[in-house]
Amino acid sequence: MSALFEIHNLAKHNWDNGDQASKYIFSQLSAEITEPERIALIGASGQGKSTLLRILALLDTPDEGDLLLDGASYKNTNVRLWRMGVSYVAQQAVMLPGSVEDNLRMVSKLHGLAYDSVLAAQLLKQLGLDYLDLGKQAADCSGGEKQRISLIRSLLLRPRILLLDEITASLDINSTQKVEELLMDWHLKEETLLIWVTHDLEQARRISNRTWVMGRGELQDHSSDSFFAEPVAVLAQKFIQPVKGSL
Amino acid sequence: MTLTALSFTLLFVIGTMLVSIWQKLGLEKDIAIGTIRSAVQLLAVGYVLQFIFHTGHIVFILIIIFTMICVASWNAAKRGKGLPGLVWRIALAVTASEIMMMGILLGLHIVKATPQYIIPISGMTIGNAMVVSGLFINQIKQEIRRSKGEIETLLSLGATAQQAMQEVRARAVKFSMIPTIDGMKTVGLVQLPGMMTGMIIAGANPIIAVRYQILIVFSFTASAAITSMLLSVLIYRLFFTADLRLKL
Ligand SMILES: Nc1ncnc2c1ncn2[C@@H]1O[C@H](COP(=O)(O)OP(=O)(O)OP(=O)(O)O)[C@@H](O)[C@H]1O
Ligand SMILES: [Mg+2]
Repeated sequence: MSALFEIHNLAKHNWDNGDQASKYIFSQLSAEITEPERIALIGASGQGKSTLLRILALLDTPDEGDLLLDGASYKNTNVRLWRMGVSYVAQQAVMLPGSVEDNLRMVSKLHGLAYDSVLAAQLLKQLGLDYLDLGKQAADCSGGEKQRISLIRSLLLRPRILLLDEITASLDINSTQKVEELLMDWHLKEETLLIWVTHDLEQARRISNRTWVMGRGELQDHSSDSFFAEPVAVLAQKFIQPVKGSL
Repeated sequence: MTLTALSFTLLFVIGTMLVSIWQKLGLEKDIAIGTIRSAVQLLAVGYVLQFIFHTGHIVFILIIIFTMICVASWNAAKRGKGLPGLVWRIALAVTASEIMMMGILLGLHIVKATPQYIIPISGMTIGNAMVVSGLFINQIKQEIRRSKGEIETLLSLGATAQQAMQEVRARAVKFSMIPTIDGMKTVGLVQLPGMMTGMIIAGANPIIAVRYQILIVFSFTASAAITSMLLSVLIYRLFFTADLRLKL
């Protein structure tokens, strides 16, 4: 049996090929995921976490290497089907023109599917958005509301792999907790693989069973149990704060 | 009007050039080139039209219209550097709208099927289609840059290029038609259109001149709409890579 998802020697060149120390943002990245796990992706700012997620969703192309979903290379698959299975929830939530409901209905509109209004209402409630008027212009929502709406919009697609890019960055503790609970719950029920970028190591510890650390163009793969054996403060020193002269 | 009388209008040009030199606008060279080009082009066209009207042969009419479409497409395509295959797409859109316009005008006997009608009306609608195409291309590029997040959000939800571009396309089409529609609203109030003015100066009854102007205004609007919408269908895919990522 082939693995659920594989990353083989993935590399991405630096955008500006000036006299940068390194030609790559990252290179020789490999990982194998055999079952739906919950992976926390951590690393200092600018290490390429968002870039990696965007590549996994085929919104950017890798310069080297391969990605396999169920053993099939991204090079020979239908891009749209891939994106429906591997869905990226952006760091900056973007609202589509129209109302909140238009945004939530987008997936069913795009793919000609029935709109599951019960599920949508339930997800809104779980994320503490049940007070929201669905007819409201999505653009007028607050940053935190937008982030949760964009998460629900992607959940309604029911992807097998969810790529979550700092989706609780503009949420208060209360809402953050709701998002975490919802996603843990969803992960169990739907068997969704989560790859979750976060700068909050406490959050990483709460939500993950596996931790990827990105830094210096490499990816370290840890089991969360052993990784979080050390105190979070020490880990933060080591992995989140950019080491002087490392880039 | 004699040629000698006409050459006195050069005084306007010389006056402008003197102002340019005096005010250090640096426009003298462009004005000189523009003056010579417009005089030569228009005089040449005058002789060509005289010849074609005289023979009345369909082949010559087609050659003229073909040339107009080529020049218009090439000119409008300058707005879209880096978009391969843009010229012939514009040409296709402009040609389609020209065929439709002429089909209706001639088919319903609204104008006579003589070069005197076909060539000027074609020239004006093709010229307007050119302006609309240029505006459309400029605008869609801006819209895409501004709506990158929106387009990528749709892509990440599994949208096709067509679905991801739908809103952006509609906005660009709408924008490109604004000048034509605004022109339609104020025509005659703000400025008397060139064709009508020309006919009146040449001695036509103003009522007749106005009728033709109305015909032109309606043709402009229709051809602007057709060109812009067709063009949006023909080019939206150019902004994507083969594996459905946004270029730019
Ligand atoms: N479209 C782009 N054009 C130019 N440079 C880019 C582009 N996207 C990313 N980069 C650069 O690539 C590097 C990695 O960016 P990326 O957004 O992946 O970092 P990140 O790890 O997600 O950081 P953060 O934690 O701040 O979100 C950065 O140096 C960034 O400036
Ligand atoms: Mg990021």
